[in-house]
Amino acid sequence: MSKTMMTGLALAAALSAAGAARAADPLKIGVATDLSGTYASLGDEVMRATRFAVDEANAAGGVDGRKVEFKSYDTEAKPDLARRQVEKLVMEGYPVVTGMIASGEGLAIAPLMERWGSIYISVVNKADELTGANCAKRVFRVNTQSAMDAATVKPWLKERKEKKWAVVAIDIAWGRGSATLFSEAVKSTGKEMVAELFPPANTNDFAPYIEQIKKAGAEGVWVVLAGRDAINFAQQSKQFGLTDAITVAGVSFTTDGTVKTLGDAAKGVFGIINYSSTLDTPENNSFVKAWTEKYKVPPTNFEGEAYLGYQVLFQAVKDAKSVKTDDIAKALPGKAYDTIMGKLVMRAEDRQLLKPNYFGVVEMVNGELRPVVKTTVSAADVAPAVACKVN
Amino acid sequence: MTSAVDKAALAKRPVMPRTARILGFAALALALGVAMPWLVSSKLTLSLTTQAIVDALLATSVGFLVLQNGRVSFGQAAFFGLGGYAFGVLVARQLVAPEVAFLLALALPTLVAFLLGLVFARIAGVAHAMLTLAVGQAFYEIAFRWRELAKGDDGMSFELPQRIFGFASSSLQDPAVMVVVAWSALVLALAGLALFVNSRIGQIAAAVRDNEERARFIGHDTAIPPAIVYAIAAFLAALAGLLQATYNGYIAPQMFHWSLSGTALIMAVVGGAQFIVGPAIGAVCFFFLKDFAGRFAEFWPAIVGTVLVAVTLLMPQGMVGLAFRLWAARRSKP
Repeated sequence: MSKTMMTGLALAAALSAAGAARAADPLKIGVATDLSGTYASLGDEVMRATRFAVDEANAAGGVDGRKVEFKSYDTEAKPDLARRQVEKLVMEGYPVVTGMIASGEGLAIAPLMERWGSIYISVVNKADELTGANCAKRVFRVNTQSAMDAATVKPWLKERKEKKWAVVAIDIAWGRGSATLFSEAVKSTGKEMVAELFPPANTNDFAPYIEQIKKAGAEGVWVVLAGRDAINFAQQSKQFGLTDAITVAGVSFTTDGTVKTLGDAAKGVFGIINYSSTLDTPENNSFVKAWTEKYKVPPTNFEGEAYLGYQVLFQAVKDAKSVKTDDIAKALPGKAYDTIMGKLVMRAEDRQLLKPNYFGVVEMVNGELRPVVKTTVSAADVAPAVACKVN
Repeated sequence: MTSAVDKAALAKRPVMPRTARILGFAALALALGVAMPWLVSSKLTLSLTTQAIVDALLATSVGFLVLQNGRVSFGQAAFFGLGGYAFGVLVARQLVAPEVAFLLALALPTLVAFLLGLVFARIAGVAHAMLTLAVGQAFYEIAFRWRELAKGDDGMSFELPQRIFGFASSSLQDPAVMVVVAWSALVLALAGLALFVNSRIGQIAAAVRDNEERARFIGHDTAIPPAIVYAIAAFLAALAGLLQATYNGYIAPQMFHWSLSGTALIMAVVGGAQFIVGPAIGAVCFFFLKDFAGRFAEFWPAIVGTVLVAVTLLMPQGMVGLAFRLWAARRSKP
């Protein structure tokens, strides 16, 4: 090939690339998540889902022909740090924000989305306020909120024989909210609450709390702990004989992620499941297959929910035919999305994605411990009442 | 007209040139600050600069205690948090007019520090460090545990009232405006400290720092002047906390945490706590080093740590101390 022809080809390639770039700006996503704090293991799951979703989209020629890019910063699950990191991401040109773990982080940045011209899509924050009392414009949630978890646990609670219940919940917005909802469920099913305990994040010694649960005479305990706290509590409650003595159940407590670390300490523990790789739908099966090819293990609870977030976002960008946050924010609510969990609607009133929820128990399956779905509750049955007044 | 007055004063008293020079520098710096939004177009840079200036105010507060009282505090963030929380909680609950909340947020920490200062000034060394640490953490624990106050660990977002002191308060959350406000506050604070050091009370405080017994022996009150230094330092920390709370519309218990006090102390030492401007310069350099390292590596704390070790070993008097030495060396050359 002659030299001039090479130059000509290169020039043409460069021109067409420039043309494409002009035609479609990339979709730039800012992932602010916990990479080194209490919830680092959950942050890791969010990052894996992010890489998977972004690679998959780009391999398929981008979202509506737009390349997807992301940048991530560590928030250490601290709301004040999250605020600084998100501001940085937005100002560096990554205005579609997602990935935060602790509810306080989401609540800290939610009121700023309008000022910064960005949008926030929660994939882990469970506190009801985020799409309820403190809901804000340009804030969306695809993951299951606490009220939906409470609606899921109530039928199970009704059937249980345990009369006296205790709660151990992390002392942040999520733990407080979930504990209140659980107590209400306990009382409404004619049972009694005997202890409500709120350890702070990053607690190493749960012995005093376990002691109080025993002393209160609880027959069952509801655990609202995640990440490092969940692992510490589960191990110590096994050591102190609590797990074997009374019924243990929880939310985000024994997930695919923690069960792997816990082994026997997690066996027989009941819990809410927000996503499971075992859901038998064609969409989910093909997702699990592609995921397992990439990472060698099936996707976890939080990986599934985070991936769900990207599915919803990408479809909204396609509908909006734009990566401008104004357009995406308009396109997102009030629409049904094709997802790994079926066709789900992003409710227009509070921008919460309505999804089914599951309840299960940690069991041995094919020689491996994992949370297994026992009850499925439909999206309509767990849909929380609309509390948001901002539209 | 001012220069004529200055010249007349200059002839009479030898102290005045220093005062005039301080005021001249301050005026120049203020003008530079007002021009900043026009010189810098990037909103990100302006916002980061605003946060760096807030850090600089806090570091100045810690550094001033070292400079004027010879005391190392590990709890200065208590007053930073107190300023922010007083404003945030009062505004969020609409207990008082926002202007009153603004003033209370400055007055309350200052008063608390003055009272504590009457005791703290008598204690030196490790005991002083431990005491300030304990008091600071006590405030942190209150903010952390008392969920009804401001939502504990989650922190609390609050909306600013429409107007404050007649200005549209939303402009206070615009980095282009806040950077000028914060910079002006810092410049005025540094100028004020420079003037205070020269004042009678400032000099008595310095005398107490150097030898309390002798200062008392020659008839000075040795309790009040150091306590005033504590109050001034707390005022600066509260001002920083107030600015941060206003700019962010958000308060969190981390504002009280000892790690923030510790970072401020490091900034002050790196910049040079023997100089009034040292801590502020140290804080700004530290802030941008941290930001720069954080962008390129996940192990940024290691990079920052290495730089800190190097600075401490190579510049025992801090960055400003080194600058002075270099300058003096150049002048002494023929």
